[in-house]
Amino acid sequence: MALINKILPGYTATLWCQDDANPVALTDTQLSTWTAQVATIVGTAAGGTGTAGILVPVEAVPAFGADDAFAAYSVAGARTGAKITTQNQVTSLTITAAWNPADTAQLLIRDDGYNGTIIRTYVIAVYDGEDTVAYAFNGRVGGLQWDMSPSAEGKFIFTIHPVGGNSYGWSNNT
Amino acid sequence: MATQNNVVQYGKAIQYQLAGIVSPIPVYAAFDRNFANEPKFITWMLRNVHQPVYTGQQQSNKGIDRPVFQISIFSQKIEDGFTISQQVLESLHGYSGMFGNPLDGGFFIAKADVYWLYNSYNNEENMAQIFLDCTIDIPA
Repeated sequence: MALINKILPGYTATLWCQDDANPVALTDTQLSTWTAQVATIVGTAAGGTGTAGILVPVEAVPAFGADDAFAAYSVAGARTGAKITTQNQVTSLTITAAWNPADTAQLLIRDDGYNGTIIRTYVIAVYDGEDTVAYAFNGRVGGLQWDMSPSAEGKFIFTIHPVGGNSYGWSNNT
Repeated sequence: MATQNNVVQYGKAIQYQLAGIVSPIPVYAAFDRNFANEPKFITWMLRNVHQPVYTGQQQSNKGIDRPVFQISIFSQKIEDGFTISQQVLESLHGYSGMFGNPLDGGFFIAKADVYWLYNSYNNEENMAQIFLDCTIDIPA
């Protein structure tokens, strides 16, 4: 498997989402499947095929993964206590985008936030010009805000909350 | 782990890329001896080559490189210089992809970020000048 074997600038990350108004989110298995699943959401500019996805024009892709959590115990009579790692939920992504009122992806997310129940598959793709590594997850949109501070361009801020305990997956194009 | 990127390839790639963008306007590294005869030309200079080195004795524990090359645009007509600058901005600013000649050590860059510094005029040489800085993010 020819994974990308180099250190990449964070700039190489892009965010993509399914482009249907009422999408069918990928299953847990499909979230880890590149061919015909994740690849279709990722656009050609990031090594995908882009037939069922759209770029979300974010300023920066925030840290993603899982939240940290552990159970802490005090152990009487021992030198130290103990931490036992527990698996916490997938991290929510609070995202800032420069607001364009006519941008298709932003309108889609605005509608998702208004609807409140739509579950959509999102993909964070990292591309080195040849190969792609993708992190896909299912989520709902919440916390829509528009920040029109006069010192910069208008910002559209929203949070994607992942759904389901296993609803994320890694895949790559090789 | 990352190897040290090759600065010879940086130089070749900058020359190749700039020459392709502004062709047929000549592009020189650092200095042009024929400036008196040429109504417009470009020179470039590379600086701030630096991959951060992380902790430990392992020499290959390094990060990405973000060098800067300055593009100096010279022209007898001020408008020509602005036109060339616009060409450079349109082609290079925000560019991601193959940088340089893929058949001669060209490499992938994640981003080229062009910053227009200022424009000026050299009265002795009768040449307008425009200076741009271009930062490139090079994976390592």
